[in-house]
Amino acid sequence: MNIEQELNETPTSVYAPHEWRHGTVVAGVPWKNPVGTASGTFNAYACGQFYDVSQMGSVTTKGVSPVEWLGNPGVRTAESPAGTVNAVGLQNPGVDHYLAHDLPYLKDLGATVIANVAGHCDDDYAQVVEKLAESDADMLEINVSCPNVTHGGMSVGTDPVALAKLMDRLRPMTDKPMIVKLTPNVTDIAAIARAAVEGGADCLSMINTLVGMRIDIRTGEPIIANRTGGVSGPAVFPVGLACVWRVRAALPDIPIIGIGGIDSGEKALEYLYAGANAVEVGGAALYDPTAPIRVALELEELLDSRPELTEKLAKGDTWR
Amino acid sequence: MPTTAFSHTVEDAVSNGRTPTRRTVDVVDVRELTPGVVRLTFRDEFTAANVKPAQFVNLYSSNPQHLMPRPFGVSDVDGDRVSLIFAVVGYGTDEFAHLKAGDRVDVLGPLGRPFDLRKDADYLLVGGGLGIPPLLEAAQALAGRDDCRAIAVLGYRDAHFADVYAARYADEVHSIDESEGNVLTLLERLWPELQESGRELIILSCGPTPMMKAVAEWASRRGVDAQLSMEQRMGCGYGTCVACTIDTRDGREKVCEAGPVFTAHQLGWDNK
Ligand SMILES: Cc1cc2nc3c(=O)[nH]c(=O)nc-3n(C[C@H](O)[C@H](O)[C@H](O)COP(=O)(O)OP(=O)(O)OC[C@H]3O[C@@H](n4cnc5c(N)ncnc54)[C@H](O)[C@@H]3O)c2cc1C
Ligand SMILES: Cc1cc2nc3c(=O)[nH]c(=O)nc-3n(C[C@H](O)[C@H](O)[C@H](O)COP(=O)(O)O)c2cc1C
Ligand code: FES
Repeated sequence: MNIEQELNETPTSVYAPHEWRHGTVVAGVPWKNPVGTASGTFNAYACGQFYDVSQMGSVTTKGVSPVEWLGNPGVRTAESPAGTVNAVGLQNPGVDHYLAHDLPYLKDLGATVIANVAGHCDDDYAQVVEKLAESDADMLEINVSCPNVTHGGMSVGTDPVALAKLMDRLRPMTDKPMIVKLTPNVTDIAAIARAAVEGGADCLSMINTLVGMRIDIRTGEPIIANRTGGVSGPAVFPVGLACVWRVRAALPDIPIIGIGGIDSGEKALEYLYAGANAVEVGGAALYDPTAPIRVALELEELLDSRPELTEKLAKGDTWR
Repeated sequence: MPTTAFSHTVEDAVSNGRTPTRRTVDVVDVRELTPGVVRLTFRDEFTAANVKPAQFVNLYSSNPQHLMPRPFGVSDVDGDRVSLIFAVVGYGTDEFAHLKAGDRVDVLGPLGRPFDLRKDADYLLVGGGLGIPPLLEAAQALAGRDDCRAIAVLGYRDAHFADVYAARYADEVHSIDESEGNVLTLLERLWPELQESGRELIILSCGPTPMMKAVAEWASRRGVDAQLSMEQRMGCGYGTCVACTIDTRDGREKVCEAGPVFTAHQLGWDNK
């Protein structure tokens, strides 16, 4: 039965308030539904004009650094087959601005907020975590997987020793559930996942973007000023799914948030069957502003006929 | 775009106090103005009722391999009909050029910060090539204002494809192509007459960046304020991805949200 047939006469509006039927629990934090928004593709004000962002299972905000970062020069984005390549380079106004504006704004709306933490070095991450430790953020996500910064980011997330060292430093700084966001740009993602968990991660999210590029054949030069960027969108869906599958097989008990190429309830459901506790919608919001809330509604319809799965999710367990 | 069983109509959005998301609209007319330049008209009450000059709409390809937004300035509005004028330069614009009346296309908008037309003044609409469409919309908005004049100054590579549309709304249309010069040639020619009127002049400009920069500098030397409509590659068009930035005196700003219109001063093009 497809979603259309499962629906009653008056279709639910993506804009209207909704009573969610199937919640999930991620590292002890209850989510209204298993669908969140992914970091860097969600801006509280821009997205909030289109839908009630507090309706999401969670919202993950753009990576924040200790001070304002200007990011990479333009051009920062190029289309790729069923996806995009971006090299924003973590432009953001810094953690103090975040604590004064975005975070209180989202908490006032009633959103479950994951703060994404960026850094060029261990000190950067530590400074941000220190400031967020006593904040109202519900969870912290340590972004050790951004391919668009020269230091920090992915260079930590591809090295289990560097990651363990960073986690040793960050873990004692806060009791907040700490998510480590993993990159798919590694040979063995399970080895990195293990290092994160041994370092005290409460949860893992995956995947960040894959390194990629586009060249303008009129000039023979890269389209993006940074030359390479990160690939996201439907094209990376099977990659993200396999990453979740492998990490779930290696680490049966760690909460996992599945990310990568999700643009429908069906794709979200595949992630849950691969062993994720929850999912996040990223790039789909860039070409369809209400995609995150639509995916949440579509998934809910699909979960109605899957009580075995919803019972597990509600307890914080997973299918696998 | 994946089909969905969930309602996301414009009426739904408005009644819930939200901005309408991406939606499918009817194409009512597509015509080639000159080889490679197309005027596309679609029916969308929301855009027609709300769009302001220099605001843009995103169009989306129907091919799921090509997901990114294609932003276009709105060139004019007629009832619930919205027109765009664009050059065929790549996959998306080629697809849109081949649409026919009765086809459907996905749109989002209107988006961005418009020209500031609050002052009663003589507005000089200085456009180059495919930068002209938003200036047509500006001329249309000014046409209803007794205390303003719209003087179009348009530069083309060859065919003067937009003059006929400009003439519908502008008080004067001056145009030139590369065989004779560029918009600066026209501005120099018009300057004595413009000065004589004694009324405040404001320049609105859209076109290739080097042209706009030259126009802004020309204006600055004469004490004329200029507003420029900028372009940058966009990831979303509505302020969420931070892909579309340019450097301004106010910092690194999103063209889709802080712009596309910036003042010459913001851009540092006013020699001040
Ligand atoms: C605010 C704004 C208003 C615009 N208004 C007009 C207009 O009125 N008329 C007009 O002809 N053009 C306009 N453009 C440029 C227009 O958006 C591009 O020509 C168009 O997106 C090209 O799409 P494509 O699929 O044919 O090209 P492709 O090269 O196949 O596109 C690939 C990707 O690159 C992007 N892209 C390619 N060229 C440009 C460009 N020059 N600027 C921005 N993005 C680009 C596309 O949007 C797409 O995401 C405007 C651009 C902006 C930012
Ligand atoms: C424009 C853009 C900006 C992003 N910025 C961040 C970021 O700041 N921090 C982060 O952890 N991930 C960032 N990401 C990665 C996404 O959160 C997500 O992991 C990735 O895009 C894969 O999911 P998707 O295919 O659904 O987009 C960004 C992605 C995009 C497209
Ligand atoms: S295009 Fe996404 S923020 Fe401007």
